[in-house]
Amino acid sequence: MALDVGTLANQMLGAALPILKKNAQDAESFAKAEFTKIAQTIVSIGEQVAAGQINQQQATLLVDMQKIASRNVLLCLQGLSLLMAEEAINAALSVVKTAVNTALKFPLIA
Amino acid sequence: MRAIQRADFQLRKRTSVIAISAFVFVALLLVGCTVRFIGDYDDTIDKGVTDVQQKAELYFSKLQSSPNTPYDQGFYDDINARLAVLKSRAASLPKYPIILEQLTNLKSQFAKFQELDKSSPRPFPSVAVAAAESAIAVSVESILKLELALKARGQAPPPSLTNAKTSK
Repeated sequence: MALDVGTLANQMLGAALPILKKNAQDAESFAKAEFTKIAQTIVSIGEQVAAGQINQQQATLLVDMQKIASRNVLLCLQGLSLLMAEEAINAALSVVKTAVNTALKFPLIA
Repeated sequence: MRAIQRADFQLRKRTSVIAISAFVFVALLLVGCTVRFIGDYDDTIDKGVTDVQQKAELYFSKLQSSPNTPYDQGFYDDINARLAVLKSRAASLPKYPIILEQLTNLKSQFAKFQELDKSSPRPFPSVAVAAAESAIAVSVESILKLELALKARGQAPPPSLTNAKTSK
């Protein structure tokens, strides 16, 4: 059986796409939850200043902490994206290995 | 004429050998070609960050329950030392710049809170504790989320050709 480019490409895509979709949904849920917490806290800080419970200097420091937290969430998403790309590419490469060995009828690629 | 045919045969044979060699070379490259864009899970960093959060939560609880709790330099010295050690570890691990940056950011957050704690008169506003606690928790969760994703790497079964969708 000869290797067919179109079939092989579709098989690689079929292996990679579910990984991309699943991981993207997971990352989205996480990001939504964390950014919601940050947003709620920032609003709360504004209310606390307005109510005179904290002063401006305290509010500035607390908002700075929220900004840093946002950066860490974005870094996490960056890491998850790298991991997702890695898993998708490796899944596609695994399909290539199987397809080549099947087509040649012997394990050329171990 | 025979010489030409022999030369042509030799040329085609050499070309075939080169083509097959190139194919085998690429195939062998694919064998070792599991890509890696980010480092591996690290148990020490996982547990270390969790410990830092646990110590922070204890301090925050103290401030909440007893707003007149005085500023405690020892707490910050301890946290800073722990985070410095974790940063050193992250800096020495391959493909770990993201988590290293996250740890650096977490250290900055504690520096901000230290400044707030040191400069705030007592009773310490409990609303401020809640806001700081939330920010630190988000950072810790971001680090642990990534570490646990690294831990789970490779645990899903590899896709099979029969499951992969094909379209004509």
